[in-house]
Amino acid sequence: MRETVRGESFPVRPEPADDLEGGLTLSPGELLERTWHVFISMRTGLALILGVAVLGLIGTVLVQAPAGLAADPAAYRAWLDSVRPKYGGWTGIFDALGFFSMFGSIWFRGLVALLMTSVVACSANRAPQLWRQATRPPLELSPSVFDRAALGATLDGGGSAELTAERIVAALRRRRYRVVTVVRDDRVHVYADRFRWTPFGTVIAHLSLVLLLAGVVIGTSFGFRDAGFAAPIGSRVEVGHGTGLALEATAFTDTYDPVTGAPSDYASEVVLYRNGARVAAQTVRVNQPLRFEGISFYQSFFGPAAALRVADAGGTTLLDQGVPLLYASDDGSERIGQFTLADQGLRVLVVATASGEQSATIRPGQVQVEVYPVDSQSPLGVRVIDQGRPASVGPLTVTFVRELEFTGLIVAHDPGQALVWSGAIALMLGVCLVFFFPNRRIWAQVARREGSGNVRIGALVRHDVAFQSEFQHLVDDLRRDLAGRAAH
Amino acid sequence: MFKMSEYSFVAGLLSAALALLCYAIAFASVRVAHRRTALAPAGARVAAVGGGPSITFVTRGPSVLATYGTLIAWLTFVFLGASLVFRTIAVGHGPFANMYEFSVAFAWGVTGVYLYFERRYHQRVLGLIALPIALALLLYATTIPSVSEPLVPALQNNLLLTVHVAVAIVAYGTFSVAFAAALLHLVQPEAGRRGLPRPELLDEISYRSVVIGFPFLTLTIVLGAVWADVAWGSYWSWDPKETASLVTWLIYGAYLHARVVRGWRGSRAAWLLVLGFAATLFTYFGNLFFGGLHSYSGLD
Ligand code: HEM
Repeated sequence: MRETVRGESFPVRPEPADDLEGGLTLSPGELLERTWHVFISMRTGLALILGVAVLGLIGTVLVQAPAGLAADPAAYRAWLDSVRPKYGGWTGIFDALGFFSMFGSIWFRGLVALLMTSVVACSANRAPQLWRQATRPPLELSPSVFDRAALGATLDGGGSAELTAERIVAALRRRRYRVVTVVRDDRVHVYADRFRWTPFGTVIAHLSLVLLLAGVVIGTSFGFRDAGFAAPIGSRVEVGHGTGLALEATAFTDTYDPVTGAPSDYASEVVLYRNGARVAAQTVRVNQPLRFEGISFYQSFFGPAAALRVADAGGTTLLDQGVPLLYASDDGSERIGQFTLADQGLRVLVVATASGEQSATIRPGQVQVEVYPVDSQSPLGVRVIDQGRPASVGPLTVTFVRELEFTGLIVAHDPGQALVWSGAIALMLGVCLVFFFPNRRIWAQVARREGSGNVRIGALVRHDVAFQSEFQHLVDDLRRDLAGRAAH
Repeated sequence: MFKMSEYSFVAGLLSAALALLCYAIAFASVRVAHRRTALAPAGARVAAVGGGPSITFVTRGPSVLATYGTLIAWLTFVFLGASLVFRTIAVGHGPFANMYEFSVAFAWGVTGVYLYFERRYHQRVLGLIALPIALALLLYATTIPSVSEPLVPALQNNLLLTVHVAVAIVAYGTFSVAFAAALLHLVQPEAGRRGLPRPELLDEISYRSVVIGFPFLTLTIVLGAVWADVAWGSYWSWDPKETASLVTWLIYGAYLHARVVRGWRGSRAAWLLVLGFAATLFTYFGNLFFGGLHSYSGLD
């Protein structure tokens, strides 16, 4: 008896020929076809994947400019100067290339767009083949194909061709293969496969990327993210962005580890209003955002605030709420808040000494109030005022009611998120289908002549030791089984 | 519990070193034996072993040593696992809060994945690269204070982060094994060299490890995104560590596709795996030098 199990050989898919030199007179149709071939070429695909990786690496290694900074040329220039010592003469070059905002740059976006085009093209190109493979696999192979099969064995059948084929079918079914047999005049053909649909996992994985990216694009185009939403305790603050919501934080607590002093918890009691009616309430913590109608509120930062009452000369109250002292002065010694009175055309700064700092001019229990016209830097009035005593500053009467805290939240709305998560799940699903449930196909044929070498088995597989040993076991079993029958 | 965890860590460290020593001696003597048998006249060789295949006789000593090596490597796996479990009980959260915890977990992952592949493919020589990686991580862990700081609020998401890290160490472990096989592939000529596994086998081992590692890395990144969304309200913010893991993911993605093209088998694919492992280490150690949202290395 002769039996061979050969090593694998890989069926090569022809690479598109590169004959661009001869292509000086291209018709639009030809051009389209060439472009198509470029996009479905694995070489292009690899170049694009690695290209995105290289840009990603540059974006990781180089410091990236804070988001939104580019909108303010002066601030951006200042930022560039701050990194100049690090990158020296390269600073200008990196800046010109957009490397300091890599992930918004034309390079990155363009390359990702090309990659997605290639991914779609590859799937569109491959899907019909996969469909044919799953629904109409070739049931009969010609003997010469067995000679070239990646894995192959020749056995001696026992008994009639039909009986031998039955043994083979039984052995394959035991291994949970789906089996189809075809009887032709001189031979019985057996086709068997497992997981015939899982090769579509690559298509799912590829298209999931498109889904995911569509979600990202939708999120950045139609969503918003306000990372500096500060709510002084006890004041209702408009959320804005067309939400029609207002938020009031009724309490904020920060807790620290008694031993190390490291922060252990930040919690804000938050109530959400729409048109004056309470619509939601929750304790917002890090990792426990409040979610309402697709809008999420995350605990992010906190700081001091000053409760102020502001009236005009006629005694009409213009403002009665907490003002978050959001900004720190350059040397960190002062905390500064600001608000505008749009109807009066006034901008008001509130300055307090930062906690733990000493100041000769602004003592504890005092704030300095500065009033400016909105379009000017020269103040109408500057005055340090005591807590609880109304004082006139420029055209306004200002009362520093008391010190407060504010809680800082991130307010985000991302309409693309459902797509992003669906894409991520589909990606996992696709990848797992391909890798953990690999498609397997085995062909066998039994020639009607009795005796040696009338059974051939073969499989066209990729390099896969697990399958090679499965195949080897199948062949060993069959050899034993068929030899046993022949002996009877 | 904390003490138990530290004892197990030390036991893991010592046993990893011992396992490596066993492998190294076994491997060195096999190579010496190969050279000897190659040099000895054919008659002498046959006489020496009483007609049997010479290699069995000459390598009996070393192969026993290699078996001990494997046993000790299993002990390493058990000790490190125990260390992680004790520590989790002692500090009340999974091994994600600082580089000490994560390094022990990484070393545990490398050892476990190596042992899995050893059982499947019986190529102990991979251990000569995988175990030093584990050992280096453990030595690195000794340089970091193992004290447990209370978790900052963003890290107080025990289940999600524990799964995130557990999935990550499987991915990192498989990439280490893929790297080990790729390196062995690169140091020998195309035709293979005695004492080292066949190039095709190494290629297969690399591929199998990436096939496991790639879905796990994908899941790591997705879970990281879920966490970021819960903690910061944005699933992706181009934080350097996020970006580095994306780059790593792309490199292994490129590797998988490269294998679809025949010409990229062998050493070109192996180079991609070396690059991928470099990216893995860069992602892993990244927070030491690029700050960002993941800058909780426990070193500052
Ligand atoms: C980052 C982007 C991509 C991801 C995540 C991805 C994902 C995958 C996965 C997981 C597989 C299965 C791999 C295997 O069986 O070893 C695969 C296969 C494949 N991909 Fe991609 N892919 C990407 C980009 C591309 C591009 C740009 C192309 C086109 C040039 C492409 C063409 C293919 C082809 C032809 C296969 C083999 C399909 C088959 O054998 O049926 N992929 N892809």
